Amino acid sequence: MKKLLLNPFEKYGELQLLAVGIILTVAGSILAFYCNARFDGVIDLHFGEGLILSDPFIDNAINIVSLFIFLFILGLIINTKTRIIDVVTTILIARVPFYLLSLVNCTNIMVRIQNNIDPANLYNITFSTLEMITLLVFGLVTILFLIWFVVLLYNGFKTATNIKQTSHKVMFGIAILLAEALSKIILFIL
Amino acid sequence: MQIKTPKLPIACPSCQESLHVSQLSCPACSTQVSGNYPLPVLLRLPADEQAFILQFFLSGGSLKEMASQIGISYPTVRNRLDDIIEKVKQLSSEE
Repeated sequence: MKKLLLNPFEKYGELQLLAVGIILTVAGSILAFYCNARFDGVIDLHFGEGLILSDPFIDNAINIVSLFIFLFILGLIINTKTRIIDVVTTILIARVPFYLLSLVNCTNIMVRIQNNIDPANLYNITFSTLEMITLLVFGLVTILFLIWFVVLLYNGFKTATNIKQTSHKVMFGIAILLAEALSKIILFIL
Repeated sequence: MQIKTPKLPIACPSCQESLHVSQLSCPACSTQVSGNYPLPVLLRLPADEQAFILQFFLSGGSLKEMASQIGISYPTVRNRLDDIIEKVKQLSSEE
Protein backbone atom coordinates (compact mmCIF):
# COMPACT_ATOMS: atom_id res chain seq x y z
CA MET A 1 0.00 0.00 0.00
CA LYS A 2 2.86 2.37 0.93
CA LYS A 3 4.55 1.61 -2.41
CA LEU A 4 1.26 2.20 -4.26
CA LEU A 5 0.79 5.61 -2.64
CA LEU A 6 4.39 6.82 -2.74
CA ASN A 7 6.10 4.99 -5.60
CA PRO A 8 3.78 3.20 -8.06
CA PHE A 9 6.32 3.89 -10.85
CA GLU A 10 8.64 1.10 -9.69
CA LYS A 11 6.06 -1.63 -10.17
CA TYR A 12 3.37 -0.63 -12.66
CA GLY A 13 3.88 -0.47 -16.42
CA GLU A 14 3.71 2.78 -18.37
CA LEU A 15 0.36 2.00 -20.06
CA GLN A 16 -1.35 1.24 -16.73
CA LEU A 17 0.07 4.44 -15.21
CA LEU A 18 -0.91 6.48 -18.28
CA ALA A 19 -4.51 5.19 -18.23
CA VAL A 20 -4.88 5.79 -14.48
CA GLY A 21 -3.17 9.19 -14.79
CA ILE A 22 -5.52 10.40 -17.56
CA ILE A 23 -8.65 9.13 -15.74
CA LEU A 24 -7.57 10.81 -12.49
CA THR A 25 -6.69 14.07 -14.29
CA VAL A 26 -10.16 14.22 -15.87
CA ALA A 27 -11.85 13.22 -12.59
CA GLY A 28 -9.70 15.73 -10.68
CA SER A 29 -10.63 18.55 -13.08
CA ILE A 30 -14.36 17.79 -12.75
CA LEU A 31 -13.99 17.59 -8.95
CA ALA A 32 -12.17 20.95 -8.95
CA PHE A 33 -15.04 22.49 -10.94
CA TYR A 34 -17.63 21.33 -8.38
CA CYS A 35 -15.41 22.41 -5.46
CA ASN A 36 -14.63 25.84 -7.00
CA ALA A 37 -10.90 25.09 -7.08
CA ARG A 38 -8.34 26.62 -9.45
CA PHE A 39 -4.91 25.05 -10.03
CA ASP A 40 -3.37 28.38 -11.00
CA GLY A 41 0.24 27.19 -11.02
CA VAL A 42 2.22 23.95 -10.78
CA ILE A 43 2.25 24.13 -6.96
CA ASP A 44 -0.84 26.33 -6.50
CA LEU A 45 -4.42 25.77 -5.41
CA HIS A 46 -6.88 28.58 -4.84
CA PHE A 47 -10.62 28.69 -4.33
CA GLY A 48 -13.03 31.12 -5.95
CA GLU A 49 -16.48 31.38 -7.45
CA GLY A 50 -17.67 31.77 -11.03
CA LEU A 51 -15.66 28.91 -12.56
CA ILE A 52 -16.59 27.40 -15.90
CA LEU A 53 -15.99 23.69 -16.52
CA SER A 54 -13.09 24.30 -18.89
CA ASP A 55 -11.09 26.32 -16.29
CA PRO A 56 -9.68 23.40 -14.24
CA PHE A 57 -8.96 21.46 -17.46
CA ILE A 58 -6.99 24.41 -18.89
CA ASP A 59 -5.17 24.87 -15.54
CA ASN A 60 -4.19 21.22 -15.45
CA ALA A 61 -3.08 21.18 -19.10
CA ILE A 62 -0.82 24.22 -18.50
CA ASN A 63 0.63 22.74 -15.30
CA ILE A 64 1.29 19.35 -16.91
CA VAL A 65 2.94 20.91 -19.99
CA SER A 66 5.05 23.32 -17.86
CA LEU A 67 6.30 20.49 -15.66
CA PHE A 68 6.92 18.26 -18.68
CA ILE A 69 9.07 20.83 -20.51
CA PHE A 70 11.52 21.30 -17.62
CA LEU A 71 11.53 17.74 -16.27
CA PHE A 72 11.98 16.13 -19.68
CA ILE A 73 14.85 18.47 -20.64
CA LEU A 74 16.49 17.78 -17.25
CA GLY A 75 15.83 14.06 -17.69
CA LEU A 76 17.65 14.05 -21.03
CA ILE A 77 20.59 15.95 -19.49
CA ILE A 78 20.85 13.37 -16.67
CA ASN A 79 20.19 10.26 -18.75
CA THR A 80 19.79 10.18 -22.53
CA LYS A 81 17.65 7.02 -22.20
CA THR A 82 14.86 8.99 -20.44
CA ARG A 83 11.54 8.27 -22.16
CA ILE A 84 8.75 10.79 -22.75
CA ILE A 85 6.08 8.40 -21.44
CA ASP A 86 7.83 7.90 -18.08
CA VAL A 87 8.01 11.66 -17.46
CA VAL A 88 4.37 12.15 -18.56
CA THR A 89 3.05 9.37 -16.29
CA THR A 90 5.14 10.74 -13.40
CA ILE A 91 3.52 14.17 -13.76
CA LEU A 92 -0.02 12.81 -14.24
CA ILE A 93 0.15 10.60 -11.13
CA ALA A 94 2.06 13.12 -8.98
CA ARG A 95 -0.71 15.73 -9.41
CA VAL A 96 -3.33 13.49 -7.74
CA PRO A 97 -2.75 14.99 -4.22
CA PHE A 98 -3.75 18.42 -5.63
CA TYR A 99 -7.00 17.01 -7.02
CA LEU A 100 -7.83 15.48 -3.63
CA LEU A 101 -7.02 18.78 -1.89
CA SER A 102 -9.84 20.53 -3.76
CA LEU A 103 -12.26 18.41 -1.65
CA VAL A 104 -11.46 20.74 1.26
CA ASN A 105 -13.83 23.24 -0.35
CA CYS A 106 -16.63 20.76 -1.11
CA THR A 107 -19.00 22.74 1.15
CA ASN A 108 -17.63 26.03 -0.20
CA ILE A 109 -16.35 26.91 3.28
CA MET A 110 -13.00 28.24 2.03
CA VAL A 111 -14.74 30.68 -0.34
CA ARG A 112 -17.00 31.85 2.51
CA ILE A 113 -13.97 32.48 4.73
CA GLN A 114 -12.24 34.36 1.91
CA ASN A 115 -15.34 36.51 1.32
CA ASN A 116 -15.38 37.50 5.00
CA ILE A 117 -11.92 39.01 4.66
CA ASP A 118 -11.86 42.68 3.73
CA PRO A 119 -8.73 43.27 1.62
CA ALA A 120 -8.86 46.98 2.47
CA ASN A 121 -8.75 46.26 6.19
CA LEU A 122 -6.29 43.40 6.68
CA TYR A 123 -5.36 44.49 10.23
CA ASN A 124 -8.87 43.86 11.46
CA ILE A 125 -9.56 40.26 10.42
CA THR A 126 -11.67 38.17 12.78
CA PHE A 127 -12.39 34.47 12.42
CA SER A 128 -14.92 32.34 14.23
CA THR A 129 -13.68 29.24 16.10
CA LEU A 130 -14.95 26.98 13.31
CA GLU A 131 -13.16 29.07 10.68
CA MET A 132 -9.93 28.99 12.70
CA ILE A 133 -10.12 25.19 13.04
CA THR A 134 -10.93 24.86 9.30
CA LEU A 135 -7.95 27.02 8.32
CA LEU A 136 -5.63 25.13 10.69
CA VAL A 137 -6.73 21.72 9.38
CA PHE A 138 -6.53 22.95 5.78
CA GLY A 139 -3.00 24.27 6.42
CA LEU A 140 -1.80 20.97 7.87
CA VAL A 141 -3.48 18.85 5.18
CA THR A 142 -2.03 21.12 2.46
CA ILE A 143 1.52 20.68 3.81
CA LEU A 144 1.09 16.89 3.92
CA PHE A 145 -0.37 16.72 0.41
CA LEU A 146 2.34 19.04 -0.94
CA ILE A 147 4.98 16.68 0.49
CA TRP A 148 3.08 13.75 -1.06
CA PHE A 149 3.14 15.54 -4.44
CA VAL A 150 6.92 16.16 -4.24
CA VAL A 151 7.60 12.56 -3.09
CA LEU A 152 5.55 11.15 -6.00
CA LEU A 153 7.19 13.51 -8.49
CA TYR A 154 10.68 12.71 -7.19
CA ASN A 155 10.13 8.92 -7.12
CA GLY A 156 8.69 8.95 -10.65
CA PHE A 157 11.52 11.14 -11.95
CA LYS A 158 14.08 8.95 -10.18
CA THR A 159 12.64 5.84 -11.86
CA ALA A 160 12.49 7.59 -15.25
CA THR A 161 16.06 8.93 -15.16
CA ASN A 162 17.98 6.80 -12.59
CA ILE A 163 18.93 10.05 -10.81
CA LYS A 164 21.72 9.62 -8.22
CA GLN A 165 23.93 12.69 -7.92
CA THR A 166 23.07 15.41 -5.40
CA SER A 167 23.57 18.12 -8.06
CA HIS A 168 20.86 16.46 -10.18
CA LYS A 169 18.50 16.41 -7.19
CA VAL A 170 19.08 20.15 -6.72
CA MET A 171 18.40 20.67 -10.44
CA PHE A 172 15.16 18.69 -10.02
CA GLY A 173 14.04 21.20 -7.36
CA ILE A 174 15.00 24.13 -9.61
CA ALA A 175 13.06 22.53 -12.52
CA ILE A 176 9.87 22.47 -10.39
CA LEU A 177 10.32 26.16 -9.51
CA LEU A 178 10.93 27.06 -13.18
CA ALA A 179 7.81 25.09 -14.16
CA GLU A 180 5.86 27.01 -11.52
CA ALA A 181 7.11 30.32 -12.98
CA LEU A 182 6.27 29.24 -16.56
CA SER A 183 2.76 28.08 -15.62
CA LYS A 184 2.12 31.39 -13.83
CA ILE A 185 3.31 33.37 -16.89
CA ILE A 186 1.10 31.32 -19.27
CA LEU A 187 -1.94 31.67 -16.98
CA PHE A 188 -1.27 35.42 -16.68
CA ILE A 189 -1.13 35.81 -20.48
CA LEU A 190 -4.34 33.79 -20.92
CA MET B 1 16.20 -32.76 4.80
CA GLN B 2 17.44 -30.70 1.89
CA ILE B 3 21.06 -29.57 1.95
CA LYS B 4 21.48 -25.94 0.93
CA THR B 5 23.89 -25.18 -1.91
CA PRO B 6 26.68 -23.12 -0.35
CA LYS B 7 27.05 -19.59 -1.71
CA LEU B 8 30.34 -18.72 -3.40
CA PRO B 9 32.00 -16.12 -1.19
CA ILE B 10 33.34 -13.24 -3.29
CA ALA B 11 34.69 -10.87 -0.65
CA CYS B 12 37.01 -11.41 2.31
CA PRO B 13 34.97 -11.58 5.54
CA SER B 14 37.66 -9.62 7.43
CA CYS B 15 38.75 -6.85 5.04
CA GLN B 16 36.10 -7.02 2.23
CA GLU B 17 38.81 -7.32 -0.47
CA SER B 18 37.93 -9.46 -3.51
CA LEU B 19 38.84 -13.13 -2.92
CA HIS B 20 41.03 -15.19 -5.30
CA VAL B 21 40.68 -18.90 -6.07
CA SER B 22 43.58 -20.84 -4.53
CA GLN B 23 42.37 -24.41 -4.97
CA LEU B 24 40.19 -26.34 -7.43
CA SER B 25 39.28 -29.99 -7.19
CA CYS B 26 37.77 -32.61 -9.51
CA PRO B 27 34.67 -34.21 -7.89
CA ALA B 28 35.20 -37.44 -9.93
CA CYS B 29 38.87 -38.29 -9.25
CA SER B 30 39.70 -35.81 -6.44
CA THR B 31 42.60 -34.28 -8.38
CA GLN B 32 43.45 -30.92 -6.85
CA VAL B 33 44.89 -27.89 -8.59
CA SER B 34 46.49 -25.15 -6.54
CA GLY B 35 47.29 -21.62 -7.67
CA ASN B 36 46.19 -18.02 -7.38
CA TYR B 37 43.41 -17.21 -9.82
CA PRO B 38 41.39 -14.01 -9.65
CA LEU B 39 37.62 -14.49 -9.94
CA PRO B 40 36.10 -13.51 -13.30
CA VAL B 41 34.31 -10.14 -13.24
CA LEU B 42 30.80 -11.64 -13.42
CA LEU B 43 31.49 -13.93 -10.44
CA ARG B 44 32.57 -10.92 -8.39
CA LEU B 45 29.03 -9.54 -8.56
CA PRO B 46 26.56 -10.36 -5.75
CA ALA B 47 24.32 -13.41 -6.31
CA ASP B 48 21.18 -11.35 -7.03
CA GLU B 49 22.98 -9.35 -9.74
CA GLN B 50 24.32 -12.57 -11.29
CA ALA B 51 20.75 -13.93 -11.31
CA PHE B 52 19.56 -10.70 -12.96
CA ILE B 53 22.16 -11.03 -15.75
CA LEU B 54 21.22 -14.69 -16.27
CA GLN B 55 17.53 -13.77 -16.51
CA PHE B 56 18.37 -10.96 -18.95
CA PHE B 57 20.25 -13.49 -21.10
CA LEU B 58 17.44 -16.07 -20.92
CA SER B 59 14.81 -13.52 -21.92
CA GLY B 60 16.81 -12.84 -25.08
CA GLY B 61 17.96 -9.42 -23.92
CA SER B 62 14.41 -8.06 -23.88
CA LEU B 63 13.98 -5.68 -20.95
CA LYS B 64 10.23 -5.45 -21.60
CA GLU B 65 9.84 -9.23 -21.36
CA MET B 66 11.97 -9.26 -18.23
CA ALA B 67 9.90 -6.50 -16.65
CA SER B 68 6.67 -8.46 -17.21
CA GLN B 69 8.32 -11.67 -15.90
CA ILE B 70 9.59 -10.03 -12.69
CA GLY B 71 6.46 -7.86 -12.28
CA ILE B 72 8.21 -4.48 -12.14
CA SER B 73 8.21 -1.53 -14.52
CA TYR B 74 10.43 -1.23 -17.60
CA PRO B 75 12.46 1.79 -16.35
CA THR B 76 13.14 0.00 -13.04
CA VAL B 77 14.61 -2.98 -14.94
CA ARG B 78 16.61 -0.66 -17.22
CA ASN B 79 17.98 1.29 -14.23
CA ARG B 80 19.05 -1.95 -12.54
CA LEU B 81 20.81 -3.08 -15.72
CA ASP B 82 22.52 0.32 -16.07
CA ASP B 83 23.74 0.08 -12.47
CA ILE B 84 25.14 -3.42 -13.06
CA ILE B 85 26.84 -2.29 -16.31
CA GLU B 86 28.46 0.56 -14.36
CA LYS B 87 29.62 -1.87 -11.68
CA VAL B 88 31.05 -4.34 -14.24
CA LYS B 89 32.91 -1.47 -15.97
CA GLN B 90 34.36 -0.42 -12.62
CA LEU B 91 35.43 -4.00 -11.76
CA SER B 92 36.95 -4.45 -15.24
CA SER B 93 38.98 -1.25 -14.90
CA GLU B 94 40.31 -2.42 -11.52
CA GLU B 95 41.80 -5.56 -13.09
